Amino acid sequence: MTADKQTQPDPTQVEIYQKREKIYPREVHGLFATLRVAAVLTLLGLYYIVPWLQWDDRQLILFDLPARKFYILGLTFWPQDFFYLALLLVVAALSLFFFTTLAGRLWCGYACPQTVWTEVFLWIERRIEGDRPKQMKLDKAPMSFRKLRIKGTKHLAWILFALWTGFTFVGYFTPIQELAVKLMHFETGPWETFWILFYGFATYGNAGWMREQVCIYMCPYARFQSAMFDRNTLIISYDEDRGEPRGSRKRDEDHEAKGLGDCIDCTLCKQVCPTGIDIREGLQYQCIGCAACVDVCDQVMDKMGYPKGLIRYTTENAIEGKGLHILRPRIFIYAAFLLLITAGLIYGLATRMPLELDIIRDRNALYRETTAGLTENVYTLKLINMEETPHRFELEVSGLEGIQLVARETVIEVPGGEVATFPVRVRVDPVHLESTSSEITFTVTALDKPKLTQTQTARFIGPLIR
Amino acid sequence: MSKVDKEKELPVVQKIVSVLWPSFLTAGVATILFFTAFDPVDLGILLGVEALDRLEAYSIGFFLFWILTSTSCALTCYFRKPCDELNRRPGA
Repeated sequence: MTADKQTQPDPTQVEIYQKREKIYPREVHGLFATLRVAAVLTLLGLYYIVPWLQWDDRQLILFDLPARKFYILGLTFWPQDFFYLALLLVVAALSLFFFTTLAGRLWCGYACPQTVWTEVFLWIERRIEGDRPKQMKLDKAPMSFRKLRIKGTKHLAWILFALWTGFTFVGYFTPIQELAVKLMHFETGPWETFWILFYGFATYGNAGWMREQVCIYMCPYARFQSAMFDRNTLIISYDEDRGEPRGSRKRDEDHEAKGLGDCIDCTLCKQVCPTGIDIREGLQYQCIGCAACVDVCDQVMDKMGYPKGLIRYTTENAIEGKGLHILRPRIFIYAAFLLLITAGLIYGLATRMPLELDIIRDRNALYRETTAGLTENVYTLKLINMEETPHRFELEVSGLEGIQLVARETVIEVPGGEVATFPVRVRVDPVHLESTSSEITFTVTALDKPKLTQTQTARFIGPLIR
Repeated sequence: MSKVDKEKELPVVQKIVSVLWPSFLTAGVATILFFTAFDPVDLGILLGVEALDRLEAYSIGFFLFWILTSTSCALTCYFRKPCDELNRRPGA
C-alpha cells in the first residue's frame, strides 16, 4: 500500500503528508521575556548548582537509589515514606489547577523544563547563527564550508550543554563530586554512563529538535488544560474589536479615517511565537502562554504611538466588556485546598517519627506452653532507625495482665540509617487470656531521646481455659 | 474525507510519540511503585542472583517495564486500524 502511494502521489495526500515547517522564533524583549529569563536563570541555576551543595558531610539533595534512601536537606527518606511523595504530588496537581484557572498556562510559559531548556538552546542558536532572518537564510543556502562550520559549532555547543545537563541529572542520584572525579578518569560505571548519555540525548533531542512538537504531541497537560479554563481565566488574547480591520499604514497616517483598526499587520506576533501560531485567530491549543506576542506587539504599539495591550493578558469576559473578575469562588476553593494539603504535608514532615517498628509473628507455631504453665508467643521485631545518628532503644510490651517479655536484651542499639532484626518471646499466664486472640502493644523508645518512640500492635494467641 | 484518510493525517512524529511516550511515562510510574514495594536485593536473593547492583536492577527493571508498556501501546495502535482498510488488497 505504501509503495503504491509513493508511485502515484495523490494531490490531497501530498498536502496531508506535508512536512512539519521549521519554526524560527524571533528574539523578543519586554516585560514577559524578562520574567521568563529570570525564571530560566533561577530554575536552571538551581538545577545545576544544587547537587554541588553539601549538608553536614553529604550532598544537600541526593536520591541515593542504590541505598534506597533520599536525602533532602536535613531529612532522610525511606521507601516507607512513600506517603509524603504522594502528598507532594497532590500539592503539585492542585498548584497546577490553581495557576491554570488563574492565568492559563503559566507553567508552560515560564517553568516547564521543556520551555526552560528550549530557551537556552534558542539562545545558543541565536548567538551562533544569528536571529530569525539569518537562520532562515542559512537554512535555505546550499551546503558550504561556512554553513557546515556554523551548524557544526551550534550542534557541538548544544551537545556539550546537553552532556553537562545529563551529568548533573545523574549527580542527583550518585554523589556528584565522586562522579566528577570518576568522569575525569573515564571510570564511570556502565549505568551511570548510560544515564548521562540518555538524559543528555533527551535534552538535545527535545530542546534542539523537537521543541514545540513536545508541547503539541507529547504533553498531557496541554490536552486537558482547557478543562480548567473558564470565562474569567486570564489568557493571552488579541483584542479583535480594537485591532480589526488590520492593515498596513504609515506612522503618521490617521488610520481611523482610513477605516483601519490598531493592528498594523506586521506579523511580528507570528514571528516571535515559539509554536508558530497566529494569536489573532483566537485562543489555540498550541499556545503555551509565553506572552512573546504580548511583548513584541507592545513595542510596535509604542512605536506607532498607540496604547499598549492590543495583545494582552485578559479574560474572555473582559474582552466582551463584562469586566475583570479574577477573585471568584473557584480560585478560593483551589487556594483553600492547596493551603490545607500543603499545611498537612508540612505538619506531617515536622512531626514525622524517623523510627519504624515492624512485627512479624512466628509462623511455625501458634503458641507454646512453657514448663511453668505460661503461654508463649514468638515474634520477630524489625526496628528501622531512619535517622543518621545511632540510638539505643528500650523495648516494652503491654496489653495483658502479667505480660512478660523475654529477650536476649531489652535495650537494642541500632546504628544510624540501619535496620535491626531480633526475636522476642512474650509470656502470659493463660488465666489472664479473655479470648484465643488478644491484642498486645510493643513500644520502643530511644533512651537518649524519649521523643523518638514508636508503638505497634500485634496478636497474642493462646488457649481459652476460662 | 474518509476515516482512513483522517488516520493518515497524524504526523509521523505523533505516531511514534503516541507509542513510545505514554509507555515511557507509565513504565516510569510502574518502576517507582514496583521498587518502592520490592527491594531488588531481596528479589535477587529469591532469584538466586547474588551480586545484584541496585542501580543496574532499577535500570533493567525500567526498560523491561518500558518494553511491556510500549508493546501494549503498539498493539492498541495496531488494533485501532480501521477494518475496511484490511479488506483492501495491496496495490489496489
